[in-house]
Amino acid sequence: MAFNDSEAALAAKAEKRMEQALATSSVERDDYIDTIPAEPLTKKDINRMAWRSLALQASFNYERMQAGGWLYTLIPALRKIHKNDEDLRNSMKMHLEFINVHPFDVTFLSGLVLAMEQSKEKISTIRAVKVALMGPLGGIGDAMFWLTWLPICAGIGAALALEGSMFGPIVFLLLFNALHFGLRFGLAHYGYRAGLGAINVLKNSTKKISHAASIVGMTVIGALVASYVRLSTPLEIHAGEAKIALQSGVLDKLMPNLLPLGFTLVVYWLMKKGYSPVKLIGLTVLLGLVGKFMGFL
Amino acid sequence: MLIEALLIALLAGLAGVDLFDGLTHFHRPVVLGPLVGLILGDVHTGLLVGGTLELVWMGMVPLAGAQPPNVVIGGVIGTAFAILTKAEPTVAIGVAVPFSIAVQGCITILFTAFSPMMHKCDAMAKKGNWRGIELVNYFGMAILFCFYFIVAFLPIYFGADAAGAVVKAAPQWVLDGLGVAGGMMPAIGFALLMKIMLNKNYVAYFILGFVGVTYLKLPILAIALGALAIAMIDFFNSNRAQPQAAAARNVEVEDGI
Repeated sequence: MAFNDSEAALAAKAEKRMEQALATSSVERDDYIDTIPAEPLTKKDINRMAWRSLALQASFNYERMQAGGWLYTLIPALRKIHKNDEDLRNSMKMHLEFINVHPFDVTFLSGLVLAMEQSKEKISTIRAVKVALMGPLGGIGDAMFWLTWLPICAGIGAALALEGSMFGPIVFLLLFNALHFGLRFGLAHYGYRAGLGAINVLKNSTKKISHAASIVGMTVIGALVASYVRLSTPLEIHAGEAKIALQSGVLDKLMPNLLPLGFTLVVYWLMKKGYSPVKLIGLTVLLGLVGKFMGFL
Repeated sequence: MLIEALLIALLAGLAGVDLFDGLTHFHRPVVLGPLVGLILGDVHTGLLVGGTLELVWMGMVPLAGAQPPNVVIGGVIGTAFAILTKAEPTVAIGVAVPFSIAVQGCITILFTAFSPMMHKCDAMAKKGNWRGIELVNYFGMAILFCFYFIVAFLPIYFGADAAGAVVKAAPQWVLDGLGVAGGMMPAIGFALLMKIMLNKNYVAYFILGFVGVTYLKLPILAIALGALAIAMIDFFNSNRAQPQAAAARNVEVEDGI
């Protein structure tokens, strides 16, 4: 998937995204009429952009993905930068092109793009940067948030909630959003200040950051499988007079959590074979019902 | 019941927007569960159901943009029905999942239907009408809110009694079977994460985490911090190794000349 892809696969994806962007383009000229760099944006401008980035997917659709919300994020800053009306229109058109970036680390790209707009780079240059960064940012965002941080926070929150503690939801929200908003605002300012220099930093560290996040994520998932997948059997083995409970007498002696691990690996294997999550949910319910009816679960 | 159903629908509407815009994640079952419980006067059950549903949805996240079964409707309807019908938290999963799958389909349709709006936006950009583009985005969020409001309100207001009757009439083995399935369900989310992330480089870390809980009985946070330590060692080691590798390459080039 995204962040484990080879260089060639990533390049092919970037090429496809560029095609998608150009297919939805209605830009008329490649350079701005007013090429004098605009006044630098203030911290307040960048913060405003970061707040607005929360609405990145407000007009999400399958034709342009987040284009509408992406432009919404940039509008106040673009209006400040482009005093020439035609420049503003042209810039808006370009930012309505296809874009699909990760909703968590998007501000890195929007900060960077604003720096380029402020120095009045060519439209094709700005587009190229947008397209080039969609993939790496998506990979890092997936690895950090969906695969690592959410399972950790949710695991801790759910454990507390299952004990009946109100701290479950509170701890979950505080933990999750500390990193979420810290990164959202931090990356916005970093992207704007670092400008184009940040691209190399990102390109060099994409793999390393995803790798580090994957290490934490995979360890936590191993722990979560052992903690929260529940499966045991009430079957008993009759050996002459003696009765041995299969679960406590045999399976647990072999290895505790053997059945949950086995079931998870079977689901993983089926998923690799192309079974959809919905189908697997159906099969799991069926297995539970049949198992209870027949008495082996 | 009308006021409770309206309040829950309001909560679902806000959470539905948060799922795509806002992303504070108060739309996760672990938060929605107790909130729905608060509305229905049973926070404790809300916490238990919320925690249970949270585990089911832990791995079902929009990876690479693909829509998983809808977590908001699952959390809201699952919790509401568990409290109203006094069913076990694990049985709530059986109620929550069909609704969440149906809503997942509706969301896909919604996102397709919104595509033509982009051509309206193009026309606005041509005229420099930035106000209009902002309004399109507010409109998009308003549609999401209304959609979730309705989808949560109807089954809770009209279906609670029927669901209660069904749960009462269902034979015990069906309820127990749903409970067993509910216990197994988190495996699907975890497998989904593994499908994206697992390759031979990371099998070792999966084993490490599994052993940490199974034999060492460590809490999740302890394991996460241990893993963070390993990841940091790995990260900084590779940083240190790189300049040397680069230097070695330079030497080779010079030799070539």
